[in-house]
Amino acid sequence: MRSVECVVIGGGPAGLAAAQAAARAGVQVMLVDENAQLGGQYYRQLPVTFQVPNSARLPKEYAEGRTLIQEVQALGVDLRLDTVAWAVFDAEIVALASGDATERLQAETLILAPGAYDRPVPFPGWTLPGVMTAGGAQNLMKAYRVLPGRRVLVAGSGPLLLVVAHSLLQGGAEVAAVCEASPMRDLWRYAPWMLPHLNFAQQGYDYWRQIREAGVPFLRGRIIRHVLGRTEVTRAVISRCDEAWRPLSGTEQGFDVDAVVIGYGFVPSLELSRLAGCEHRYLPEVDSWVPTRTPDLETTLPGVFVVGDGAGVAGSAVARAEGGLAGLVVAQRLGKIAERDYGILRARARGRLRHLAGFRRVMDSLYRVGPGLYSLADDVTPLCRCEEITVGEALAAIREGATHPSEVKAWTRTGMGRCQGRMCGPTLAHLIARTAGRPVAEVGLFTQRPPTKPVPLSALIHDVTAV
Amino acid sequence: MTHDDLRIATPVQRGRLLTILVDGREVPAYEGETVAAALLAAGYRTFRLTPRGQTPRSYFCGMGVCHDCLMMVDGLPNVRTCMTPVRDGLRVDTQHGLGEWDGRS
Repeated sequence: MRSVECVVIGGGPAGLAAAQAAARAGVQVMLVDENAQLGGQYYRQLPVTFQVPNSARLPKEYAEGRTLIQEVQALGVDLRLDTVAWAVFDAEIVALASGDATERLQAETLILAPGAYDRPVPFPGWTLPGVMTAGGAQNLMKAYRVLPGRRVLVAGSGPLLLVVAHSLLQGGAEVAAVCEASPMRDLWRYAPWMLPHLNFAQQGYDYWRQIREAGVPFLRGRIIRHVLGRTEVTRAVISRCDEAWRPLSGTEQGFDVDAVVIGYGFVPSLELSRLAGCEHRYLPEVDSWVPTRTPDLETTLPGVFVVGDGAGVAGSAVARAEGGLAGLVVAQRLGKIAERDYGILRARARGRLRHLAGFRRVMDSLYRVGPGLYSLADDVTPLCRCEEITVGEALAAIREGATHPSEVKAWTRTGMGRCQGRMCGPTLAHLIARTAGRPVAEVGLFTQRPPTKPVPLSALIHDVTAV
Repeated sequence: MTHDDLRIATPVQRGRLLTILVDGREVPAYEGETVAAALLAAGYRTFRLTPRGQTPRSYFCGMGVCHDCLMMVDGLPNVRTCMTPVRDGLRVDTQHGLGEWDGRS
């Protein structure tokens, strides 16, 4: 089996920065990404067939991402695009699939940068065509320059709502309203932590002002209630919610729209770090499980690192800084970097992360998920989108004695579909916790199994691993 | 451009204009687009009907995670249209339930 000094999985800000730092020091790096192009979600590039006559008119992350991608390409990194990393065996064997072939590689060091996906939130109507995630809407507009709809409601929590609303307006759509679940009261409390990050605050304020100037209502303390339509979205209903994001009845407000964008934050993609066998823990402040890491971002498995949103959602600036640090640590482990240089660069990278930690704390506190978010569904709302299992069916299993997500899976098929429990897992844990009166941290997660994404049998049969 | 076209006008020059066949009907698409992007731009919303409840599903996560945008592409079922690029003459069909393999369900 071929051995590679460093395998980086995920070509977003974290993975690119990791590959760059390691390759720059002389490490032999392979960078794997499922997409046709590098960039991940934040640095998502236009298709290569698209031309940009005036890139100054595009959001700044296009150019920022392109520069980083070009640097990584120039360093001679072995790029494996359109390639799924579908398993990690024995903490060092990486299984890749591309087209109709699969290959296993031995990774001397492994940097996982899998990113995150939009927190799935079941509410009546959430499977209707025309309802899409904030990440999905952004991709559609950023990469393909296509609008999700003509008149759109944006609901969720976090700074991405403002970015989405801004993209919609720029693209010529009408935004019915932006509904932020957080009450966003007493923002002055955050001033001491935000002072070193005025650039971020200014960015957020600029978006907010442009949205207000376009006449779009920005409604705080509002939550999505349900979406109506026969074969696609025709109407969305929101209501006020309390501090715990519990909807307040009698305060409903409806909007006639043809698309609804939902963005209640993100959850890390843990499939590979869990398959590898890294230890994870639940962090209530971000309502997600994250891999346990050393200050050098190494997991409980020596030589396995997790960086970026896949280790706890914190955005692209933290992702880049973490990637850079992990790439550097890997270079040192492999003896590619002089101790003195390593000391200086490592201190600088860790300083950058300490600097960003304050901003991260403000975001986590301001947009902290309220438990009311998991009470929007009714009994007939699909919980598992793949297997079409309703919240009521899952609750019945829990009341009959299922105490673990895997038990609910075995009894009802919840989480047995193609998404591998990514869409229903977070909510299911909350339903079990609430029904059993236990903390969600104790409930646990589905057992992780390969493949992390569906791989054709033809690819599994066609194993091209070098002997 | 049709009345339904949801493509944003500026400031990007798209790839070559192609045609894909959606349930037998010609739909314009630009080289570089995904099947999902081309369909949404043309006003298509229902990509498949689910096996259990025959309910309509469409583009949801847009990044290859949720597996809701599955369609039959060139006769193969369960293809994620948000991750699949268009090609001239590509055959795309609404997937009913688990879809069909070479005409067999």
